[in-house]
Amino acid sequence: MDVYASGPLLELNKAIPSFDESGLPPVPFSMKLMPGECMVVEARDIGHSTMFADLCSGLVPLDGGAVRFMGLDWADLGDRELNALRGRIGRVTHRASWPEFVPIHLAIVLQQLHHTTRQIDDLVQDAANLAERFGLPGLPTESPSFLPEDDLLRASCVRAFLGQPHLLLLEDPVEGGPAELSNSFLAAITEARDRGAGVIWLVRNNAVWQEYRQGITATWRLADDGLVAVRMG
Amino acid sequence: MSSEEIIDPTVQHDASVRRVLLHMVLPFVLIIMTVVAIAWVGINSYRTTSEGVSVLTRELLDATQQYIGQEVGDYIAPSAAGNLIAGGMIEHAPPLVSDKVFYSYGSTMLQKIPQLQSFYLADDQGNFTLITRSSTKDVQDHVRLVTEPDGKKVFQHTLYNAMGQKVGQHDVPANDYDPRTRPWYKNTANKDTIQWTQPYLFPSDKQFVMTSSLRFKRDDGHEMVFATNISLNELSAFLDKIKIGKTGSAMIVDANGRIIAGRNLMQHAQAAGWDPDKMVLDPKVYPVFALGYDHYRVRGFGPKQVEWDGKTYIAMASALPRYSQGWILLIAAPENDFGSFAHQSSRQSLQFAAIVTVFSLLLGGLYIRQLRKTEAVNRRLAVQHAQVAQESGALQQVAVTPQLFDPTAEPLVITEQLAQVAGARRASLWRFLHDGAAMVCDDTYDRTQNTHSGGFEMGREELGKLFEAIEEGTSFFVGNAATDERTTRFERLVMREASTHALAVYPVRGPHGALGMLALEEPIMLPHLQYFVELMASIAGTRFAAQGALEAHQGAVGDGAGLPAPAATLGVTKSDNLLMRAEEMAAVTGASIYPAVAVLVVSFSDPVVEGNKETTTLIALINQLATQVQSVAHEEQLFAVEVAGHRMICMAGCTTEPDHTALFRLANAALKMRETFMAALAAADLEPVFTMGMDFGPAFGGAVGQAPTVFNLWGQTVSLAELMAESAIDPGTIQVTERVYASLRDRYLFRSRGSFFVPHLGLGRAYTLAARR
Repeated sequence: MDVYASGPLLELNKAIPSFDESGLPPVPFSMKLMPGECMVVEARDIGHSTMFADLCSGLVPLDGGAVRFMGLDWADLGDRELNALRGRIGRVTHRASWPEFVPIHLAIVLQQLHHTTRQIDDLVQDAANLAERFGLPGLPTESPSFLPEDDLLRASCVRAFLGQPHLLLLEDPVEGGPAELSNSFLAAITEARDRGAGVIWLVRNNAVWQEYRQGITATWRLADDGLVAVRMG
Repeated sequence: MSSEEIIDPTVQHDASVRRVLLHMVLPFVLIIMTVVAIAWVGINSYRTTSEGVSVLTRELLDATQQYIGQEVGDYIAPSAAGNLIAGGMIEHAPPLVSDKVFYSYGSTMLQKIPQLQSFYLADDQGNFTLITRSSTKDVQDHVRLVTEPDGKKVFQHTLYNAMGQKVGQHDVPANDYDPRTRPWYKNTANKDTIQWTQPYLFPSDKQFVMTSSLRFKRDDGHEMVFATNISLNELSAFLDKIKIGKTGSAMIVDANGRIIAGRNLMQHAQAAGWDPDKMVLDPKVYPVFALGYDHYRVRGFGPKQVEWDGKTYIAMASALPRYSQGWILLIAAPENDFGSFAHQSSRQSLQFAAIVTVFSLLLGGLYIRQLRKTEAVNRRLAVQHAQVAQESGALQQVAVTPQLFDPTAEPLVITEQLAQVAGARRASLWRFLHDGAAMVCDDTYDRTQNTHSGGFEMGREELGKLFEAIEEGTSFFVGNAATDERTTRFERLVMREASTHALAVYPVRGPHGALGMLALEEPIMLPHLQYFVELMASIAGTRFAAQGALEAHQGAVGDGAGLPAPAATLGVTKSDNLLMRAEEMAAVTGASIYPAVAVLVVSFSDPVVEGNKETTTLIALINQLATQVQSVAHEEQLFAVEVAGHRMICMAGCTTEPDHTALFRLANAALKMRETFMAALAAADLEPVFTMGMDFGPAFGGAVGQAPTVFNLWGQTVSLAELMAESAIDPGTIQVTERVYASLRDRYLFRSRGSFFVPHLGLGRAYTLAARR
């Protein structure tokens, strides 16, 4: 992964999400995420977290302002470029995101298979390493419905971190997930940041990230009046 | 863009609708519009011209028809009008001079008007006089019907020359000739207007002749008929001569369709056996005239378009003027004769349109080509801008690195940024040692694996050519390092392990010559890259120079200080980390393969301790757990229990012959240990902080080392047991492999976790051991 060093990795510039499409408050959202930074966004509503991640991914139509990722305005890109750019984002989402028609291992490597020319053997090797790291005995090959909830969370992490994405939009897998996942998750975040990736960690309460407090560069709260900066005490 | 990405989103691809519209569709649309406009103008021009030609043609034909009508009128007029004049003259002349008047008139008319053939004068008493041209040129034949004294009738011929002098006389028997029985006489009966006979042939001189006659009453009360023979041959000759368009012709037919005059009249007459009644319009001979005549009969007079043999003709029928007894003038001419210039004009327009179209296409092509070239240049500029931005970023990264020029600090950032900017698989820094006798790799960065390595050393004997090339001070690039004599050995020794082929070498120069080199494997040699690499080489040169000075200083200090005293000999280690060992272990002297070893790995997570008191409590707990493990291990007759950090490895069945009870014993031990650990941890108010993993299968094991000699077990079985422990689904659970499950499923209860793929091991299922049945 080449480090992006030409300004903010992700920039919300007075972006007003469409309320009808997202349910997010139709107020200007502004923030910047530099490469290597880790930002915590607190949102009580899981649906809002997902929509905010969608907003960052250019999936929410805007009534005003702009969302730029790696200097590119989502609104200015064609479909091919949009999809390719989204290939640089790793996501853990609470929204059901596992297709039933492919087994988990394929669903994990699917994004990289689609967006890159990487050999499937390399991808499987990387995915298996990540799976081991996140506490799986290997790369799960079952259908998603046969996998326990905790293992699905682990698989989500594998999928998110596979391919060394530039941006990680992580809807907290730690809270309510297996306890031992926390260490692997934090280690993976740290390693990604060392590579120059930006991380947005969407949490429901601030207890989750306290363990990683020193590594957090900014904290925001997603409230009814938009994105509010939270002073880190 | 990552080299593995299929689409680079940072590049605005050509697929944007606007670009396609602007660069491809617009020129094509313009070209097509140009072509359509030219075609439209051409078609309109052609139509206008055609209509104009049609109108012009009709007007021309009208004019021609009027002209021919006039000519025909003029041709016939002497005959008809002459009858009236001569009739009037003779009517009122005294009978004695009427012959004189007749001859005088006839002679003059025959001399002046060539189409007139002869004149007749007959009366109701059977007298008959005739004046005609003789077969001799300029000699007229005056004929009188005379009754001889013997009662025989003769034609008395008297020949006069042009001067009016009598040049000969002879008689020809007239037999019973009576002028009153002739058609020209009879058709005037009870009529005082000019009457015409049907055309008939004078076989003697091959003349088609018609006779116009007028009856009048002389002053003495006798009725006389004056008749004029007019030749149609002259009319045909006139029609033959007249030009209508290029190949058009005219024909006169009577109301019954019999040919009166026209082109090739004589041939037609001959074909008809010299019978005027058979000289009708034959469609085989005159197809166009026949069509025109048919059109006339159906639709009346006027110009008509007829098609014959794929060609369009204009056929025009019109009535001839007075005296003509219902004659019809037929004119036929190919439309092309009049419209050929329009066709030519259209052809020229078409050629012009084709030329304009070709030029338009050419211009359109040039326009598109120019756009594409501009785009390519823009892309190159964008790439250069991106490169400059990337180099600036990389330079910034290098600049902000602390201790960049400190030779004791690792120069990792230089190789990393070099590899990034150059897109190289590996970037390495090599420094000359021992005054250039050898070269050591300070750092090699592998971009694909994101790893650093270094410390390799190569001598001048091995890489003499490369050393010389570096010392020359010129950078060079070789596409295949294996084939270039300067880099062959370098490729074999360094590059082959990474399967790289292309190599770029940049000498690192110092104040006194080359200090080393900077090598890029599989670089993307972009233009201007050299400046950045040279800059990095200069930084490396500064580092090398400082490093050389430092080593020289350390060498001087080292020589004086000498080596430190060797460490005191360590005593024999009393513990070999085995919590429990079976007595059989004493017999183990070397390494062996054990075909059926059961391995249990217990992994504890690191506890969080915040004070000495907690530490003491924790150590006591650990000690308690260890004691309980020993107890369980003895109970289940395990082979050994090894402690390593936060892991514990329990093994059973380390015998060269398979021990089928080993797995059961170990499973029992695992369940007992889990129960014991849970209870102990619960008593200490701690969460279960351990996971357990089991596998069963062949393993290598044996005593290793000397004083002390320790027992160790390794192999896939141990690795898998560790993996099972590390990846157990929940704390306090025992995760086992499929092999363990297959062996124990009759006696123990398991929960399946699903199937998993592990590279090099393949697909397998993982189970959680729950309890005994």
